[in-house]
Amino acid sequence: MTALRADRLSVPGRLEELSLALGPGELVALVGPNGAGKSTLLQALAGLLPARGSVAWQGQEITRIPVLDRARRLAWVGQEAPFEFAFPVREVVAQGRYAWSDDPAGIAEALEELDITHLGDRPVTRLSGGERHRVGLARALATGAPLQLWDEPTAQLDVRHALEVFRLARRLASEGGTVLVSLHDLRAAYRFDRVLVLEGGRLAGNGIPHAVLTADLLLKVFGVRASFVESLVPELPTAAGPPVA
Amino acid sequence: MRGRAAGPTLVGLLVLAFLAALAFGELRLGPGEVLAALGGGGDEVARTVVRDFRLPRALVGLAVGAALGASGVVMQAFFRNSLASPGLLGVSSGGALGAVAVLALGPALGLGAALWALPLASILGAFAATGAVLLLARQGASTERLLLSGVALNALLGAGTSFLLTSTAGHFEVNAQILFWLMGGLESRGWEHVWLGLPTILLGCLLLLPLGRAMDLLSLGEQSAQSLGVDVGRLRGQLIVLSTVLTALATAVAGIVGFVGLVVPHVLRLLFGPSHRRLLPLSMLGGAAFLLACDLITRCFPIGLRLGVVTALVGGPFFLWLLRRPR
Repeated sequence: MTALRADRLSVPGRLEELSLALGPGELVALVGPNGAGKSTLLQALAGLLPARGSVAWQGQEITRIPVLDRARRLAWVGQEAPFEFAFPVREVVAQGRYAWSDDPAGIAEALEELDITHLGDRPVTRLSGGERHRVGLARALATGAPLQLWDEPTAQLDVRHALEVFRLARRLASEGGTVLVSLHDLRAAYRFDRVLVLEGGRLAGNGIPHAVLTADLLLKVFGVRASFVESLVPELPTAAGPPVA
Repeated sequence: MRGRAAGPTLVGLLVLAFLAALAFGELRLGPGEVLAALGGGGDEVARTVVRDFRLPRALVGLAVGAALGASGVVMQAFFRNSLASPGLLGVSSGGALGAVAVLALGPALGLGAALWALPLASILGAFAATGAVLLLARQGASTERLLLSGVALNALLGAGTSFLLTSTAGHFEVNAQILFWLMGGLESRGWEHVWLGLPTILLGCLLLLPLGRAMDLLSLGEQSAQSLGVDVGRLRGQLIVLSTVLTALATAVAGIVGFVGLVVPHVLRLLFGPSHRRLLPLSMLGGAAFLLACDLITRCFPIGLRLGVVTALVGGPFFLWLLRRPR
């Protein structure tokens, strides 16, 4: 069974007849130049935009899934976190439990996972951009939804927190979830199970990273010359101890 | 001041303001005399003053304050902007134009004496304004579009009101009536105004209370609220209808009283936090207490101060101070 399927999904002027299918346990990167339609695609897949064509989650058309049930199945994190009111961080993360009658299960773990437990009582209006994004991710995580769509979650994060977000995404996928993440960092995308390349509202590539992210495709889609060389590769320290220098 | 003291504190303030509204005025009464008069005993003059004049006036003030406070909270959550107010959508302007039209044109149409004509026209005007804003913003009704529609409509309706005001400049009495109403007040509000405003306002407030949790989510973004399980289209519809009804009724019975819907929720949010499950009832209580206190000022200093002027004089500077206060 596919976890997430789109058939001839169109949003006028932004997405054209796009079809794709993602399976459970898949960690998928969505890349493409600015204006390619990444955010639009994520919103349309999340059922947040009026779109032509069809979207199905876990084999069911989303138009037939009640709103509360949708929130238990799929979590979406937008590119912007426009927190206008001074809710404490913990309360914002707790909003992820709205569809579960505000049962608090998983809130503490979500705060811990995104390294914001120490910010729990701080108003979200007094956070840095990167901290706000981690609050948004923690709220999505707290939903416990198996489908997770994140729009450029690491754009404002420092290198360690970005790596932690990727590790979290990997863990969710290894537990059977489906995680679709839009990115600009092509090197990070290279480590995902699959890469979707979006160009002008159409899929220009869809497959395992080393087969899709070729020098030819990068030149055609992004207009850059890519070479594959040894480079600085930051890693999280493993549980066994500090990384080997 | 955070914490559980908020509710009891505001209830206490409201009771105090309500009793003061019954006790103070040209005839000063002690607490015992007020209670005796309410119970149907005591001095006959005091009984008449309390039961026929001050009680209905205080009840109208309570309803108007609660309605404006609740409306303000709703619109601030709706627009995700803590500076939003019931006047923003053009609802107050619509109500004003409706009422002024009756005052200016009523005598010619033979409506002059009809008690229900003015409030009815005010309600119709408010709903027409809200309807127009929603119609203008129908396509992809984004918050920005709604706001800008409200701004445009406000200007248009204000121009209509000004035209009616200047066109009746020759009729001193009509003109005075219009101005009296545009500045808002609780003078000579009687039991008919209580029945007109209070029950529906209470119902509107009760219907709003269960929406607090969903408003929390909406106030932090429409798309994220939708994705977290809020039926955003439906919630927005409920909020816009209820806040329009509340504002229209308040305007219908007391004229235009500004700043209550803006200042009360804003202050309470700064004091007790943004959670709407608390903020909604607190703003109803706070709005009612604030309005009664402002009305008391107009009565204790009988120098021609109007309620709308006092709410602006108290609310405006306090609001500016809050804005300048370091967080």
